Amino acid sequence: MTAAPATLRLIDRGDLLAALDRAAARKVTIISAPAGSGKTSLIRAWADRPGGPHRLAVVPVQRDQHDAQLFWLALLDGVRQATDAAGSAEPAAAMPEFNARAMVDRVLSELAEARGPLTLVIEDLHELASPGALAAELTRLLTNLPPGVHAIVSTRHDLRLRLHQLRLAGELSEIRASDLRFSERETRELLDVTGIALSEAGAALLHERTEGWAAGLRLAVISLAGHPDPERFVAEFSGSERTVGEYLLAEMLDRQRGDVQRLLLRTCLLDRVNGELADLLTGRPGSERILLDLGDANAFVVSLDPERTWFRYHHLFADLLRLELRRRRPKEVPELHRRAAGWFIEHGQVVDAIRHTQAAGDWPGAAKLLADHSFSLTLDGQTQTIQALVQAFPPGADHPELALVRAMGDLGQGHLDEAAAHLAIAETYAETAPPDRQRRLRVAIAALKLSLARRRGHLAGVIEQVRFLDSPLTGQSDEDIALGSDLRAVALLNLGTAEAWSALPDAERHLGEGAVLAREIGRPYLEVSCLAQLGLASKVRPFATTRRRNREAIALADQHGWGAEPVIAPALNSLAGALMFMGEFDEAERWLQRAERAVQTDTGPDISLLMHMAGGMLHACRGRHQQALEEFSAAEQLRSQLEGPPATAIQVTGWLLATQARLGRPGEARALLAALDDERAGCGEIRNACAVICLAEDDPAGALGAVQDVLDGTVPVIGYVTVVEAQLLAGLAHRELGDQRAASQAAERALALAEPDRTNLSRVEIASELTVSRNTVSTHIGSIYAKLGVTDRSSTVRSARSLRPLSAGQPR
Amino acid sequence: MDPGPARYTIRIDGHLGATMLSAFPAMVPRRHGGHTVLTGVLDRSALYGMLAEIDALGLNLLEVRRRTPQPESPPPRDSRSPSRR
Repeated sequence: MTAAPATLRLIDRGDLLAALDRAAARKVTIISAPAGSGKTSLIRAWADRPGGPHRLAVVPVQRDQHDAQLFWLALLDGVRQATDAAGSAEPAAAMPEFNARAMVDRVLSELAEARGPLTLVIEDLHELASPGALAAELTRLLTNLPPGVHAIVSTRHDLRLRLHQLRLAGELSEIRASDLRFSERETRELLDVTGIALSEAGAALLHERTEGWAAGLRLAVISLAGHPDPERFVAEFSGSERTVGEYLLAEMLDRQRGDVQRLLLRTCLLDRVNGELADLLTGRPGSERILLDLGDANAFVVSLDPERTWFRYHHLFADLLRLELRRRRPKEVPELHRRAAGWFIEHGQVVDAIRHTQAAGDWPGAAKLLADHSFSLTLDGQTQTIQALVQAFPPGADHPELALVRAMGDLGQGHLDEAAAHLAIAETYAETAPPDRQRRLRVAIAALKLSLARRRGHLAGVIEQVRFLDSPLTGQSDEDIALGSDLRAVALLNLGTAEAWSALPDAERHLGEGAVLAREIGRPYLEVSCLAQLGLASKVRPFATTRRRNREAIALADQHGWGAEPVIAPALNSLAGALMFMGEFDEAERWLQRAERAVQTDTGPDISLLMHMAGGMLHACRGRHQQALEEFSAAEQLRSQLEGPPATAIQVTGWLLATQARLGRPGEARALLAALDDERAGCGEIRNACAVICLAEDDPAGALGAVQDVLDGTVPVIGYVTVVEAQLLAGLAHRELGDQRAASQAAERALALAEPDRTNLSRVEIASELTVSRNTVSTHIGSIYAKLGVTDRSSTVRSARSLRPLSAGQPR
Repeated sequence: MDPGPARYTIRIDGHLGATMLSAFPAMVPRRHGGHTVLTGVLDRSALYGMLAEIDALGLNLLEVRRRTPQPESPPPRDSRSPSRR
């Protein structure tokens, strides 16, 4: 024996390779066989042999992969690497469909662009925790592969993929456990190439006992290499009734040199290992050499990178080793986890470190680590990971450090009161913490308070916390500087968002600066957060700008796999709103549905208010005023829950009043109006609502009077949308008064405001634009549509052409 | 439709030694001919976890049987016998 087990030559399993060749001539090959059957080895041998596939995209599914998005991202990455598209690819245009669907489209388009032969290998698909949820999209991917692209999927058990179409078309082939089994002849060959002298009878016995199971044969060959009496080994093995894997693992381990045994047992708890980490866990140098030798010997050790620095054990092998370690050296297990945790923390791999600290049973230590790093993890969008780590703590054990972490979770889910309660506990605890941790905790607490104030719509509270964070940090270490940049970006995000809610002019600048800073310091999640809020803040801009900014934010979120998370919801919501203003109701509805899915885990009053507003708008656009009223009423309820109250929320009140009027209840609207204080009643949005009430009361002259101050610019408005609205209302009032010319002029002014870049169009074009979609500039247009008796855009086009309600110079 | 915790017997090909048995601490092992029969009370998620573990360890599952008698229905014959190797 050398340092590692004798090199286990992969024998040329020509028949099997030929079978895979035949299989791979079809579109899709499924390799379905239990652990240790040799699925991976077959694929590697097939790919590595001369004349193998030119381009190969291998996507191994990580162990216990719970996150479907991570799976799709890995798939996209794998395809891009194989096609050299990484980096060069433009971010694809944002799509309203559910993320997984968009991802599959993107993978398919990358594959189509790859042109030419390419084999996509998805390994260990069974590791996906909920393959059922993925089945539909995966089926779509596999049944729509572009010409020249083949897929090989390996799994331990059959998955419910609906591939009957492929099967009927003769484009599906399956390789199963019985195909992978070593024949007696192959067993003989394996022994021969490894230099093991065993009689015919001995080889037959070995084959019979292992039933041709690849993992069993491998273990046996590693044990047999250099064995003084191979015949006796096989005889004893065959006489044993112990399971094949267990018997052979124990034998194989015992046959290893002490340092190899020690390394295998002491590193098996890790999901991946390198030489340095293995040296630390074994307490001896030289581990890298052993790992390389084990890898060369095909002894269940595979390298994970081309440089061969990281390795992992075959899953079955690792599972068996872990059991063996727990049985042989149970007392060493916690210490091994602790040491691994120490290494991971030193190398900045916090999540691995916390997992190992938990596995070591060091719950207070794990709580401390989690509290110290939760701020940074949150900035990277790892909220789900944080929640999973929190849930791994044993119930009942109370760790005051976790209050801070729980507050972050609450905040992410929009449970603002719970977040405040946990924050109070965290603050009390921080005061008792040792000085070195105190500052870090205080900074995290201040950042949380800042986010909490923002989510409550409390501008003054935001400004107060920003001032606290703005005070220069005492230390000047690298960590301090990093913390300083993080905090500055967080402060800009929250300040800009709060300003946007208050319709303050600095909002867009602060959010834009926040996005740039976040990109500079390598915090893409924070960048997406800023861009999503910037998209929302842009609703005061021309619709084309709003639409573009939101689409950019969504494309970036999609790229990182956050396209269906609360972080991007403001942009999804705002894009839907802009599309409604442009008359694209169906597309708006699809984006709104995607926004609904994204906010499923976030029930905060701020985002819920936005969702009710947009939902109400869509109903109003389609003339469903009763449903619109319900949505606006729900939004109004939420508005009162926010502190401040945010200025932009005046829109809710305005739309609520207008909808009541449209439903023929101007009296109720007037009563509500009377209850408003002077400041709010004087806002442009409420003036517009007054105009709607007047129109409902057949008082067009009153309506004109109500909007006059808005048109003159003498009352505050939250954005130019309000002025566009006022122009349209004036147009409607003029029409009611029989002044078609003034009505057209008002509509033209509305158009000029809404789309400044379109004003150079000819009068005729403006006229047709007006009657089609450009005049659908607000929810008030819902009332125009309702008067026309139509509900969607195409029929509006037709009706509008015949009626020309606001067209220039065309008498009705 | 979770039937709740029930007593299960799970039959595996071969004799499980100390190492393999340590993977199933909640189950009582018994040898039966060339097989190992594991008995214990499991709820649904524990049962599926255990089946996954058997799968992961390369063991040959022969049969799963639910033992809790149901008052109003005949004894369930919930058995699986996948083929492996």
